[in-house]
Amino acid sequence: MDEFELLRYVTVGQYIPTGSLIHRLDPRFKLAAFAVLVGAVTFTGSYLGNAVLLVLIVGLVFLSRVPLRYVLSGLRPALPVLLLLAALQILLYTPDFTRGTNCTTLFQFWIIHSTTCGVKLAIVSAARFVELLMLTSLLTLTTTTTELTHGIERLFAPLQQRFNFPAHELALIVTITLRFVPTFAEELERIVKAQVSRGADLGQRGRLRFIQQTRALLPMLVPLFLGALRRAEELILAMEARCYMGGKGRTRLIELHSTRQDVVALFVAVLAAATVLLVPWPW
Amino acid sequence: MASPAEPIVRLEGVRHVYGPHGGKGVEALRGVSLAFYAGEHVAIIGPNGSGKSTLAKHLNALLLPTEGDVWVKGWNTRDPRHWRDVRSTVGMVFQNPDAQLVATVVEEDVAFGPENLGVPRDELRARVDWALDVVDMQAYRFRPPHLLSGGQKQRVAIAGVIAMRPQVLVLDEATAMLDPLGRRDVLRTVEHLNREAGMTIVAITHFMEEAALADRVVVMHAGQVVLDGPPREVFRQRERLQAWGLDVPHVTELAARLHALDPAFPPDVLSIEELVETACQVWAGQEKAL
Ligand SMILES: Nc1ncnc2c1ncn2[C@@H]1O[C@H](COP(=O)(O)OP(=O)(O)OP(=O)(O)O)[C@@H](O)[C@H]1O
Ligand SMILES: [Mg+2]
Repeated sequence: MDEFELLRYVTVGQYIPTGSLIHRLDPRFKLAAFAVLVGAVTFTGSYLGNAVLLVLIVGLVFLSRVPLRYVLSGLRPALPVLLLLAALQILLYTPDFTRGTNCTTLFQFWIIHSTTCGVKLAIVSAARFVELLMLTSLLTLTTTTTELTHGIERLFAPLQQRFNFPAHELALIVTITLRFVPTFAEELERIVKAQVSRGADLGQRGRLRFIQQTRALLPMLVPLFLGALRRAEELILAMEARCYMGGKGRTRLIELHSTRQDVVALFVAVLAAATVLLVPWPW
Repeated sequence: MASPAEPIVRLEGVRHVYGPHGGKGVEALRGVSLAFYAGEHVAIIGPNGSGKSTLAKHLNALLLPTEGDVWVKGWNTRDPRHWRDVRSTVGMVFQNPDAQLVATVVEEDVAFGPENLGVPRDELRARVDWALDVVDMQAYRFRPPHLLSGGQKQRVAIAGVIAMRPQVLVLDEATAMLDPLGRRDVLRTVEHLNREAGMTIVAITHFMEEAALADRVVVMHAGQVVLDGPPREVFRQRERLQAWGLDVPHVTELAARLHALDPAFPPDVLSIEELVETACQVWAGQEKAL
């Protein structure tokens, strides 16, 4: 049963306060720089470009003074999928990945066709995955959830005015989600305990136990969903009672300050992305 | 705006039917006329399903009457243009502490109401500080709400409402899900708001001891107001209350039983202190009375 006790301590985005430069960045600029770097990672297909990005990201991690193992903690659960993916990429030739480059066949047998391009693809996509993981971890480890939601809201505020993009609503949804995840975890814990005390079995062994476990979870999910709907209705009433009538005319308690540092940080991110994307790396 | 004799909130012949209008729905309020005055502390009691929550939601335009009118400081709650004024005048705290906090940090939750009202940032700060002070939760301002106890969450909810500076605070069974300590803290806060800030309190409750502390008790039964008066007068009607499935405070029950044994003992005692005092007076020198 211990596994259910743990649910209560679920946190989304485990903030680690070290007070570093990265922590102190204005969330708007931090989010923008993050988006730029994610773009760079997504569109870089060369070894050297990825190496540059990796070095840059590790540098950022050191700057943030967050231990590297926290930043990489999401890697282990993803490892099996990552290895499977790499194996498939190496064994099955994909001609459209590196257009124009010459691929030498390493060996060929039945549908298996292994080329140097496949190997490159495997390495580059693994590197990209690690880079993206580190970037997102770094963002959530150095930014509180409130900073994140305020950042999203203000960043998209101009779009709201111009194109009616629901920036405020988006931020509110994120806030409420973050607010209620622990509450639902608690509720699920209670439901699971009630079911187990009435004889529901969750601890099956055997190779196919995940099927049984999933089936056993169903009767717990139904009350959880009903509870969530009821709570949502109560929440709407409570928000209306507190004069919530949409984002128009609202003021904000939290003020975001941007300094020269923030501009510099964003500039560095853009510069790095441009370097990685525009330089014709030899390999 | 309103002269002293004018009620802050006035209900006139309010009927409310849930469900299909015209067709047969649940008639939760059957002609309720009531007035609440500035500075009053009113308790509303009544059995389950008697329409207390429905009544409460009419006080700040969360529900609109099917028939009849509700006036808040002269604004008819039917007029959507005044909903903001109505809701910032009549604040509401609900039963479930987990379903009314919206933000991930206490101080931001307290700021939610005034933010919606468009209060400028400097004043916003001041209001949040003041509200957290009143409910004695300053030390928790940066905590996430899910790490607070039920009583603390409910006090944060109260802070979030009073930060809008309402004149009336409606509490719909706000202490029902709390342990005795949490309930005591919340009640203390509410008393303080009534005494010190002159806030009008309308508290729906199932705890008769709580109702006995009010200036006035309104009893609801089957969608109607059946009794309305000072707690002493209301709780004197023990038989009627019991017929509606309601109790009287334990002390009053005890006093009533003593009254049955000794007619000299008054039946309408409301607190333990009063019981002790009365006993001393009535039975002075009669060591063997019981
Ligand atoms: N949303 C709704 N839709 C339909 N009927 C409702 C709704 N809410 C309440 N009712 C019905 O209206 C009647 C009065 O309900 P209300 O919640 O006002 O009672 P209450 O006095 O607050 O009860 P409790 O002490 O249980 O909180 C009940 O018969 C209830 O079933
Ligand atoms: Mg109710």
